[in-house]
Amino acid sequence: MSRNRNRKPSLDPVILIALGIVFVTIAIVMVVFQSNTYDVNIANNSGGISQLAVAFITGLTTGGLSCLAVQGGLLASSLAHQIEQDYLEQAAHAERNKQRGKKNQPAPRSNSAFPIFLFLIAKVVAYTVLGALLGLVGSYLTLSPATRAILMILIGVFMLGNALRMFNVHPIFRYFSIEPPKFITRYIRRTAKGTDTVTPLFLGALTVFIPCGVTQAMMAAALGTSSMAMGAALMFAFTLGTSPVFFIVAYLTTELGSRLEKLFMRFVAVVVLILGLVTINGGLNVLGSQLSFQNLTRNLLPSNSGSAPVAQAAGSSFAEGDVVLYVQNEGYFPQTISAPAGKNFILNLVTNQTYSCARDFVIPSLDYYELLPDTGTVQVNIPAQEKGNTLFFTCSMGMYTGQIVFE
Amino acid sequence: MVKKTFKVPDMTCTNCAMKLESLEDTLDGVKEINASYHKLQMTVEYDESKLTDEQIIAAVKKKGYQALPV
Repeated sequence: MSRNRNRKPSLDPVILIALGIVFVTIAIVMVVFQSNTYDVNIANNSGGISQLAVAFITGLTTGGLSCLAVQGGLLASSLAHQIEQDYLEQAAHAERNKQRGKKNQPAPRSNSAFPIFLFLIAKVVAYTVLGALLGLVGSYLTLSPATRAILMILIGVFMLGNALRMFNVHPIFRYFSIEPPKFITRYIRRTAKGTDTVTPLFLGALTVFIPCGVTQAMMAAALGTSSMAMGAALMFAFTLGTSPVFFIVAYLTTELGSRLEKLFMRFVAVVVLILGLVTINGGLNVLGSQLSFQNLTRNLLPSNSGSAPVAQAAGSSFAEGDVVLYVQNEGYFPQTISAPAGKNFILNLVTNQTYSCARDFVIPSLDYYELLPDTGTVQVNIPAQEKGNTLFFTCSMGMYTGQIVFE
Repeated sequence: MVKKTFKVPDMTCTNCAMKLESLEDTLDGVKEINASYHKLQMTVEYDESKLTDEQIIAAVKKKGYQALPV
């Protein structure tokens, strides 16, 4: 009996509930939201509920780890008091056992799941409120593709800097870590000392001041919804999505000790590094830069290029010689269009039940931006270009790209 | 009261700085601690009659870090 008294429960009930919520939610999302709603551009009101599903999935898959990289410090400090109490209790327990001549058995650990849970509740609430405010602000201003691109590049650089900081590449990267103001940390520490409820709640709410890179991208999307309700819903869905991963990794980190903590943080650093590079690349695409990965490598890979493609379906309304670009859920077809130099021409953008980001069509160098209908044809007048010139086009998130080469 | 700076080279994130600043509340004789992860240092303002450098270094060691007087 006494041997079992100090045995840790095999699995914390809070973990079981969190995992259960995750799996049930994933199942619902997969059943209700089919693959044709994937990659919907969430910066515009194209498909409200599917936007929320994408935001949730983004949080579930990448946002959680990215957030942990940046906000993990605040969470850890909310657990610090409890963890320190644990260590002191462990040491005192060992000393008592030693004095009694008993074999050392670990003292029962306090539950780190509950403060993490409180932290995340506060974080979800705070970001939902922030999303509402951003949506409200966004209704008064619009982000042009160029502005969004610069924002994406800045966010990507921030993420890259944090990843390099976590790898300890150079002291300069320490400055990518945001330190909360001293008066806030002092206030929290002094008013919440010894209270396991207030500190995690307060710090969870405080994470709005240090959003991670993916969160910042989502905040920009919330701004782009131009709607208080949609902005709030978007941030709620995203932050809720980040919670399970954040919870599980933070819980395992505190429970498994410093060695595995280092392993987890290295893994997080790798993920943040990749996310940072992907975000910067997206921004370069939206700027129409030749330096993006797709624009640099397109000509090196076998591509679905075409020369003034004619309509594929029989009975199409296009005449021979019409330049047609098919805007599909998976991207643009063909990715490379050859067009005649020195004269204007009409580019026909054809959608057919297209719901993905590809609908948000951008030609950066012409400052052309259009949210295409999900089914239909939009004609774009392309002004005459010099021979050898290349016009890049992209979706507004920089995910799907293509080019028009003038010959 | 004196103000002294210590290098703490093994801080790895802002949370480390916050942990060190919590010594303000537990170490007798300390008026204020400002720790910076960016600069990898902490500045301690304390009453020399109540606290020595060695005690500060020992308290920092208990937190899991190494403090080196500048």
